[in-house]
Amino acid sequence: MTKWIRWSGLAGFIIVSALIVCFWLFAAGPLTKLAIESFGSRALGAKVDVADVSFGLNPMTITVSGVQLTDKDKPMENIVSFETAVANIEPFPLLLGKAIIPQLSLEGVATGTPRSESGAIKKTNKKQTEKSSSAHSKPAANDTSAEPKSQTLPSADEILERESLLTEQAGDAFEKAYESHSQNIEQSLANLPTEDSIKQYEVQLNKLLTGKFKNLEDFKQRKRELDALRNQFKQDKQAIADAKQAIAQGKSDMKEKFNALKAAPKQDLNNIKSKYTLDGAGASNLTALLFGEDAGGYAQTTLEYYEKVRPLLVDEATQAAKAELKAKRLEGRYVQFETDRPQPDFWVKTLTFTMSLPQVGQPAQSLGDVAVNVLDITHQQDVINRPTLVKGKGVNLRNIDSLTINGVLDHRTSPGKDSFTLEVQNWQLNKVKLGLAGLRMDNSVTDVSAKGVLIDGQLSASGQARFNQATFSSKDRTMLAKEMVAALKTIDTFVVNGRAKGPLTDPSMSINSDLDKQLNSAFDQRIAQKQQELENKIKAKLNDKLMSYAGDYQAQLKSLNLTEGNLASKGDALEKLGKQELSSYQDQLKAEAKAKADAEKARAKAKAKADAERKRKELERKAKEKLKDLF
Amino acid sequence: MLAMLAKLLKILNSDASPGQISLGFAFALFIGLTPFFSLHNLFIFLLVCLIRVNLGGFFFASAIFALLAFLLDPVSIAIGEQLLAHPDLQAVWTGMYQSDVWRAFKFNHTLLLGSVVLSCVLFIPVWIVFSILIKLYRSKLMAWFEKLKIVKFLKASKFYQAYERLGA
Repeated sequence: MTKWIRWSGLAGFIIVSALIVCFWLFAAGPLTKLAIESFGSRALGAKVDVADVSFGLNPMTITVSGVQLTDKDKPMENIVSFETAVANIEPFPLLLGKAIIPQLSLEGVATGTPRSESGAIKKTNKKQTEKSSSAHSKPAANDTSAEPKSQTLPSADEILERESLLTEQAGDAFEKAYESHSQNIEQSLANLPTEDSIKQYEVQLNKLLTGKFKNLEDFKQRKRELDALRNQFKQDKQAIADAKQAIAQGKSDMKEKFNALKAAPKQDLNNIKSKYTLDGAGASNLTALLFGEDAGGYAQTTLEYYEKVRPLLVDEATQAAKAELKAKRLEGRYVQFETDRPQPDFWVKTLTFTMSLPQVGQPAQSLGDVAVNVLDITHQQDVINRPTLVKGKGVNLRNIDSLTINGVLDHRTSPGKDSFTLEVQNWQLNKVKLGLAGLRMDNSVTDVSAKGVLIDGQLSASGQARFNQATFSSKDRTMLAKEMVAALKTIDTFVVNGRAKGPLTDPSMSINSDLDKQLNSAFDQRIAQKQQELENKIKAKLNDKLMSYAGDYQAQLKSLNLTEGNLASKGDALEKLGKQELSSYQDQLKAEAKAKADAEKARAKAKAKADAERKRKELERKAKEKLKDLF
Repeated sequence: MLAMLAKLLKILNSDASPGQISLGFAFALFIGLTPFFSLHNLFIFLLVCLIRVNLGGFFFASAIFALLAFLLDPVSIAIGEQLLAHPDLQAVWTGMYQSDVWRAFKFNHTLLLGSVVLSCVLFIPVWIVFSILIKLYRSKLMAWFEKLKIVKFLKASKFYQAYERLGA
C-alpha cells in the first residue's frame, strides 16, 4: 500500500497551497484596492480613492480604510467618505464568486468633505477646476452673496427673464411675417411698369393710332406693333394684379399677427399672475415664499444622493442583461432549490454606520448623529426574497427629542417600489432664517412627519411640519417686514404641508400651510399693493417689448396703403390706354366703312338724280311732241 | 501533434507501471471533462500528488480529455439536467443546497454535476481498459512498434531528442 503513497507529492501540494495562501494574504490587499478603485471609479464616473485594504483569515474579514468617493459634479468634493469599513465575508460563497457580507461597519462617515486633489476622471477644464476650487475656498463669500437673492421676491425683470413669453413668440412671428411679406411685395413691385414706361406706352400708342394707313402693309405693321403693345399691357396688368394680391395678403396676415402681438402682453400678464399667484388672495403662497427655498434645497439634495446611491443598490438593467446573456450561453446553468440560505452574487446583510446631522442653515454645526442600519443590500432581491431596509435613528441629539428614518427599497418585482418615512419630534429650531423680508424664526418646537414613495421613477411624497411656540423677528425696516412681524406675533402654532409629485428628476413641488390663512387678512392690502406694482412693471416691460416688435407698424401700413393706391392709379392708366387703343382702331375702321358707304350712296344718289332728270327730260320731250301732234 | 505523439510514446515506453499510468488517465477525466476552476479539482490534484500515479500520463490525458470535453459537454449538461430535475433526488439536492460547503462544490450546476458523474462512471473502466491496453502494448506491440519507420523517424527527429534531453 505504501508504494502507492507519494509523500513528496503531498509535501509539494502543501507547499504550493501555502504559497497561494501567502500570495493571497500579501497581494490580495493591493489587488483588491486596485479593483475597488478601478471598478468603483468606472461605476461612479469619478475617482474612488482607497488608502488601504487588508484581509484577515479567521474569521475572514476585509478592512478597507480611507475611502473617498468623489462627487462627479464637484471634483473637489466627496459625495461620501469614511475612515474604515470592516466587512466579515463568508468564505465558501466566495469560492463561487459570491460576496456574502453578514456585517459591514463603517466608521467616520461624512458627506461633502473637501478633497486635496481633483477627483475628476477625465481632464477637466482648468477654469472649471479653479471655479470649483474657489467656490470651495470661499464658502462664506458665496453664502452672503446668495443670501439676498433668497430674501427678495423676484423682480419684474427676473420674472420676464425666466418666463417663456407669448409676446416674444408673437413678436418673432410678426417680424418673420413682415420680412417675408416685404420681400414678396418688393419682388412684385419690381415687376411693375414705371411712370416713364407708361408715358412711353402713350407715345407709342399715339404714333400707331394717328395718321391714315398708307397701304395694307402699313396697316399690318401697325397691327403687329399694336398687338405687341397689347401683350405688354396684359403682362403689366397681371404684374399689378399680383402686386395688389401680395400687398393684400401681407396686410391681412400682418394685421392678424399684429392683433396677436397686441393681445400677447395681456395673456403673458395673466399667465405670470396665475403662476406667481399674485392674483386673488396674494398671501396664499406665502408659505412657499417663506419656506420654499429651503424645503426645495433639502429635497433636491436628498434626491441627488438617492439618484447616486440607487444604481449601486438596485441594478435592474444589469440583472436583465445578465439573465439574457445566461439564456444564450451553452455552459450549463445553476438550478436553484428552496433554501433559507439564499446566495445572491453580492449581499451585505447588515450595514451599520453613524453620520453627523448638520444643523439647518448652519451646515458646519451638528445637531447630533444618526445611526443608520441598512439590511439586505443586494442587487438581486429576488434571490433573497427580501427588500432592502433602511433604519436611521438619532443618537446624542441636541435640540431634538427623537429622529427616525425608515426606508424600504423593494425591487423583487418590476417596477420596484422605494418608500421612506421620516419622523422628528420636538425639534427646537432656533434662529432659522426665512426666505422673505429678512425674517427669522427665533424659536419653535417642531414636529416633522413625512413619507415618500417612488415607483417606476415617479415620486409621490408628502410631509407635514407642525411649528409650536413659534416666535419671529426681522432686521429689515421695510413696511412688509414690520407688518409681517406684527402679524406673526399673534401666531403661536402653525402647520406647513409639503408635497412632491412627478418624475424623480423633475418633481412638481408645493408647500401650503394654515399660516397662509392666519396671515391672509393681515397681508391682503400689502400684497395687493405689491401685486399692482409688479403688474404695472410687468405691463410696462411687456409693452416695451410689444413696441420693439411692432415699432412703426402704422407707418409701414401707411406705406403699403400708398403703394396700393399707386398701383390702382397705374392700373387705371393702363386700362385707359388699352381701351383708347381699342376704340380708336374701331373708329377708324368704322369711319373708313362709313366714308365708303357715303361715297357709294352719293354716287347712287347722283346716278338716280341723273336718271330722273333724263327721264323727266324724256317725258318733257314726249309731252312736247304729243302737244305738237295735237296742234 | 508530433509533440503529443512523442509524449505518449515516452510515457508508454517508460518504467512506470501500467496501473500508475492508467490511473493518471482516469484522474485526468475529472480535470479534462469538468470545469477546471472547481473545488473538486483541488481534491483531484491532492490525490494525484499523494497517490503514486504517473504525472506525465495525468497531464497528457488531461489535455486530451479537455479537447474531448468540447464534444461531451452537451452530454454532461443533459446528464446534469436530468439528475437535478429528477423528482426522487429533489430531497437530496435540497438538503445539500442548505449547506454552504456543498454549494461551494457547485453541485447544482448542470455541466459540473453531469461531467463529474460522467467522470466517475468512466473512472474505473478507463483505469482498467487503459491498464490492459498498456500491458498489451508493452508485451506485444512495443517491439513491433519500435521498428516502425515512422517511430524511427520520430525518435530521430531533433524535437524528440531535445524532448529526451529535457527528461520530459
